[in-house]
Amino acid sequence: MAVTVRLPVTLRQGGADTLTVTEPVGTIAELVDLLGRRLPGFRAQWDDSMLNFAVNDELILHRAGERRLTDDDVVEIVPAISGGAGRAPAYGVPESWSGSAT
Amino acid sequence: MSIDDRVARLLTELPQSAQFPTQGATLFVDLARQRVQQAYTPKRIVESLLAGRGTNMFYLYRLLDASLEPTNSEVPLIFESGVLTGIVPSAARGNATSWSPESGVLMDCNAGDYFPSFLKMNGIDHLVICGRATAWTWLWIGDGRVEFRDATPYLGLDNIDLRDRMAADVGGTWTRDLATASITRAGENLVMSSAIMAGPKACYARGAPGAKRGSLRVKAIVVQGQTHDFDTARPYKPYNKTIAKKLLDTSVVKHALRTMGTPFLYRPSRVLGAMGTKNNQETTWTDRLDAEHITPYRPGVAGCFRCPVNCRPLNHLNDDLADRYGRGDGQEYVTLGKFGPNVGIDQLEPVIRPNNICNDLGLDTASSGSTIAWAMELYQRGIITKKETGGLELVWGDAELVERLLFDLSRREGFGNVLADGTRAVEQGHYPAEALRYRMAVNGLMQSDPHDARILKAFALGLAVATRGMDHLRNLVTLEINARINDDPDFKAKLYGGPVTAEPNRYDTKERAVRVCENLYAVGDAVGMCRFTTKLFNSPSLPGLDEFSGQIANVTGMEINTAALDRIGLNIMGVERLINHRLGVRRSDDTLPERWFEEEVQVGAYKGEKIDCQEFDAMLSRFYAISGLSDEGVPADAWRQELETVLGAPAD
Repeated sequence: MAVTVRLPVTLRQGGADTLTVTEPVGTIAELVDLLGRRLPGFRAQWDDSMLNFAVNDELILHRAGERRLTDDDVVEIVPAISGGAGRAPAYGVPESWSGSAT
Repeated sequence: MSIDDRVARLLTELPQSAQFPTQGATLFVDLARQRVQQAYTPKRIVESLLAGRGTNMFYLYRLLDASLEPTNSEVPLIFESGVLTGIVPSAARGNATSWSPESGVLMDCNAGDYFPSFLKMNGIDHLVICGRATAWTWLWIGDGRVEFRDATPYLGLDNIDLRDRMAADVGGTWTRDLATASITRAGENLVMSSAIMAGPKACYARGAPGAKRGSLRVKAIVVQGQTHDFDTARPYKPYNKTIAKKLLDTSVVKHALRTMGTPFLYRPSRVLGAMGTKNNQETTWTDRLDAEHITPYRPGVAGCFRCPVNCRPLNHLNDDLADRYGRGDGQEYVTLGKFGPNVGIDQLEPVIRPNNICNDLGLDTASSGSTIAWAMELYQRGIITKKETGGLELVWGDAELVERLLFDLSRREGFGNVLADGTRAVEQGHYPAEALRYRMAVNGLMQSDPHDARILKAFALGLAVATRGMDHLRNLVTLEINARINDDPDFKAKLYGGPVTAEPNRYDTKERAVRVCENLYAVGDAVGMCRFTTKLFNSPSLPGLDEFSGQIANVTGMEINTAALDRIGLNIMGVERLINHRLGVRRSDDTLPERWFEEEVQVGAYKGEKIDCQEFDAMLSRFYAISGLSDEGVPADAWRQELETVLGAPAD
């Protein structure tokens, strides 16, 4: 399994604009969990509701966590047009986003 | 009744002293007689409409004679500063209000930079300008006084030269002790996309304010004076720190606005397939215009008076000092969209140059870009030919052509004279009626933002009901493009005071979000807050009614709770609709361009989306119902009577 993740400027490390994920991630929610552990700065921006995801050039605007991922998918992290709920989100993580990479 | 009589009658009702700490005067400037009369906005009006945009509507409602034409000198042009303008971080804005020469409906445009704040510093909340000057005039304002000066030496100057000349002649420095609201040749020539320039880039843009000013023969208004603190009801600086921290802690400010400016919005729009392209025939465009590619051209950022955000990117294209447009201020996302995908240009430098040209020529980039794109599609379809264009081939992506057209339209030369009539080109006999089918306008105003709203139904409703025509800054439910928020129904319900559906392409409940945004943004304009830093526009955590209420109390001593502020926002929209009703606007005008009802989006996850007529009509009915509007889109009986009682009788 390999998913290519395109990173926005705000999350790039050492000039790399993509990240290849070889761990098994079945959904966007699982990918979020993994990126939170692997990618410095991701968690803070994620908690700020600043990030959207596009899978194979299709932006997902609802039920994003449930979106299934398959081998060779290209996931782009797109800074949200809106975003910015503050450092401590005023709301919890929606159930649809729960999940963890195994 | 003449404008003199209308002003005289109004003055008998207005108090002669400030009604609360920091309230500035309303100056009635009679250009024909070179006379200034002063009064203050009554408390009852402040309680219903607050200040700024809100009280501008009171003055327009009372002074407008709808039997005239918009460029008639008896139709006033009204500038304002908001109740917190110049006092609170990021509140540097003010509106200019009149009857639009282009759209034929309400003209109400907003600008920042330094002019509104310097008005406030001079103790002025409203400038009501009427009467045509006998010769071209400019107004100097200092120490709260207005002087009428000869503008003949400045005629024919565009923004760059005008700013240089005026600063040298008056003796002062822009952003330190001088601020201006000026028009260029485009305004002198009554061009329908002409702006009133409030800085090197900032401008009162929408609805032909430059043309309205040109019709009164006022080349410039220059405000001079030192900045100072305000004598307020209670200390206000500690709470300012809280507001500034809230601004700067917000991620969209930290990671986007302060670093890239608004062009960061381009990428999500094009990936979604909601980027207006080639006059909205298509909805996605190249990644070569993504904000990250602009970085090499961005030497720094600038900002408005006392705003800690500094979201205005500067640009530097080359070191050739002879190239007047090789560097400049901007660009914003709107300009990127209008001079990139909308006219088929796919390289950055040819997109940035028109921004610099428009800043100098004093043109609204949204209306100018849309007008050119409209002409290009008409040419593509053979609806107009070289015969109408004076031999020009209006082909997509021709950057040199676009530049030439901007100069021509600002001077009304050749085909530029057609473009200079903006959305009125059919009415003026330049295009056949068939052309209206491809005009991306509502209520006579071209769309302001580059979004194609066929997917996003809340955006679509907002554009249809905006009181100044097709404009996103009145009510855009921007957070619809945020999956994290869409997928948290409780949080979303809390934001909008009730459930709003998650799916951006559904119609049900979107009216609630539009209503909440419209109220909040109207209050933001009355306060003087920038839209980019107002809650719900770019983020759920930026300052909103809570912060406005708190700081209004500190500054003015008036306790206006959030519910009352929300009602004020609704009232402002209500008065605007009463004005528009007098100007002939009806339910059938609150609609969308034909194309969006008939043509489907061809790309992306929402391929196949368009606006369904019946669903849209039902959504509009629900919007009217929750807004307290009648079936014709004006305040329903009891509320209307309440507003009319507060406002007093209009002139006509």
